[in-house]
Amino acid sequence: MGADVTITDVIPDNAELRAARRENVLEAMEAAGVDILIAGREPNARYVAGVPRLWINGSRPFGPGCLIERAAGSIHLVSTWDEGVPDDIPHENLHGITFNRANTLAWLTGVEGAATAKTVATDGLMPSTLSLIRQAFPSAEVVDGEQLMARVRRIKMPQEIRAIRTSVRIAEHSLAAAEAAFGAGMTGRRLTAAFMEAMADAGVTTPTTQDVAWITSRDRHWAQAARDTPIAVGDLVAFDAGLMADGYVGELGRTLAVGGLPPSARKLRQQWDELWDRLMEACRPGAAATALLDAYDASGVAPPPVPVARGLGLGNDLPFVTGALRRTAAAQQLEAGMVIALTAYVWEEGLGGLYGQEPVVITADGAELLSTNPLRKA
Amino acid sequence: MELATGVVPAKPDLGRMRRDRTGRVREAMREQGLDAVVLLGNTNVVYATGAIWPLSDASRTNFEQPVAVVLADDELPHLFSPNRADARMQADLPDDHVHGPAHLDFDEGVETFLPQLYDLVGEGAAVAIDEWSHPLRRANVFIGPKGAPIDAGHIISKAKLIKTPDELACMREGLRITEEGIRDVQARLAPGVKQTELTATFLRTIFDAGADVNILDPIWQVMPNSIAEGPWTTTGDLALPLLSTERELVEGDVLWVDLGISYEGVHSDFGRTWIVGREPNDVQRDQFDRWRSILEATLAVTRAGAKNSDLTTAATAANGGSKPWLPHFYLGHGLGIDSAEMPFVGSDIGEQFDASYVLEAGMVLVLEPVIWDDGQCGYRSEEVVLITEGGWEPLTDYPYDPF
Repeated sequence: MGADVTITDVIPDNAELRAARRENVLEAMEAAGVDILIAGREPNARYVAGVPRLWINGSRPFGPGCLIERAAGSIHLVSTWDEGVPDDIPHENLHGITFNRANTLAWLTGVEGAATAKTVATDGLMPSTLSLIRQAFPSAEVVDGEQLMARVRRIKMPQEIRAIRTSVRIAEHSLAAAEAAFGAGMTGRRLTAAFMEAMADAGVTTPTTQDVAWITSRDRHWAQAARDTPIAVGDLVAFDAGLMADGYVGELGRTLAVGGLPPSARKLRQQWDELWDRLMEACRPGAAATALLDAYDASGVAPPPVPVARGLGLGNDLPFVTGALRRTAAAQQLEAGMVIALTAYVWEEGLGGLYGQEPVVITADGAELLSTNPLRKA
Repeated sequence: MELATGVVPAKPDLGRMRRDRTGRVREAMREQGLDAVVLLGNTNVVYATGAIWPLSDASRTNFEQPVAVVLADDELPHLFSPNRADARMQADLPDDHVHGPAHLDFDEGVETFLPQLYDLVGEGAAVAIDEWSHPLRRANVFIGPKGAPIDAGHIISKAKLIKTPDELACMREGLRITEEGIRDVQARLAPGVKQTELTATFLRTIFDAGADVNILDPIWQVMPNSIAEGPWTTTGDLALPLLSTERELVEGDVLWVDLGISYEGVHSDFGRTWIVGREPNDVQRDQFDRWRSILEATLAVTRAGAKNSDLTTAATAANGGSKPWLPHFYLGHGLGIDSAEMPFVGSDIGEQFDASYVLEAGMVLVLEPVIWDDGQCGYRSEEVVLITEGGWEPLTDYPYDPF
């Protein structure tokens, strides 16, 4: 169900996609005068190398996991084996898992141009990173590679949008299984279990969130009941479905109530609809991303502490639009080819929250929903 | 084997666990003269605050990560988070210790976080941080004498080495949940089943049984008979772990299983060898027997006060003089808030490290020797034990079926 074909081997990302992504990276490195870029973050490493690696939940401390050198365009990767590694990354550029800093230093030092590199970009930092980089690349200044990569990755190429569409489709399929299990007495945890089973049976084993269903709080704006609380009539239960297929994230959010939304929630639903229409209206190429925060203001709705829009792609994607970072939002523009998870959340004391999220691609003249069964029907 | 009983409570007291952990962090801070530590690493935040959220996958972890601040003069930690609070966290941390998100991956996020931090500790305070970011570097804050921040990672590494009684209770519960999942998977194991379908069954059961999150894409690796039949490796040895796919299992496949979950922020670990649709043959039984004798020889020298090298020496001797573990991994590793943490026993940190590292009571060790007979495949399982003064105690009694 997941991909159009059943995947029984670990294979690198498609050659054409890999080549196009690399070209984008090399171009940006050239423009920024970066000789060597070190990616520790999986989304960046995947974009550069095109190699699927073991999915692990949670953050990882920064370490050199992937490196691209501009002059020769060569890529180095931390991988003890060559399964899933394309031919354009030769064996001598694969470096085994190590727990020893000296071994990391040794392979970095051996990179072509290490001794003369003037500018090395890293997409993360640990307190020890500068000293490691300075030892390996003695002539280099260390600059911000995360900004560079986030800028490169923000516009999705058609093949990337197709990949996100596939992920959205599998997320919808898996969400349907959780919705089918929905009812009084169920718990958020058990609905999560139903989602996970359907997702993996569809061939995808990598969720982006593992709290798929949660009872919204009636007395706090952004809070939830404990995961084992049985769902009762009148509870507004939010669903958050997200997964990665072939590295690309597809996400959507919904809200259900046992027996349908109660009459008391009619006004809240109306408010949600108005907010959603304003958000979609704001999704125009060339608009400042603050337009999405303005849509909340215009609707008289306080945004949740999570982003009202986050880029969808390999992960950590721009735009990143959240009420806490208004200036950051103002500096970002919505552009054709961006894909976002757009969130509308309204809440009323005594009632709970209505949460909806749709994957949206910004097009040349507006926005297109990537979900096949959107919450707000046109 | 008798399960550890002496020091492990039947049920974890989560409030006490959080207090004990924050206390251990503050003790390590005091030794280093620190006024505050700022923590970004997901599991470090869990350790210091007791906050549980469905740890996000790498795709959103950097832009949306919670941040913890622990102060030398406050028993309660501060949490900066975009995540939804639940009743348990509200009961443990007062509202003035729970703040909105700190987006330290953005310059504006750093600018809004710093005044809040300085309200808590004052600008001249000695602050250490576990992870850094380019925006923090641009803000030129927390810079220590070496031109970089003081590493708070060491503080957490030190604090988390010795498990509190409630952490052990959580680990045992996490292992129980994991094994409930595994029992269902083993019941489904048959020719024609896909690797991803085993994952489906596993995920279904662990969430139903109370897991917070699954921590890695479960490994059901079909082993080759010889190294040459597997992928090329940098070491010339076996590749492990390789990713699961929709590959269908066939009768006689030898599977090396490796996975883990998190329960209340404490990780479990599970490793076994299974055979699809067949009973083990004589060669395979012999491999299991040899594996068990290596494990027993290693456990015979495992106790508080033993050095890592005592374990590697015993394992190597029991294997006829060659190391019974994979060169890119280790004979054993610690387990706690991360699925592999210190102490690493037999890793490429080197023999000098192993000869100087002393095990202490309260550490948890996962021992994972490997038997490999090139041309005839091999055997690998994992055993989770608690180090005690007199030796060790098992934290699980899950069987080695079909062996």
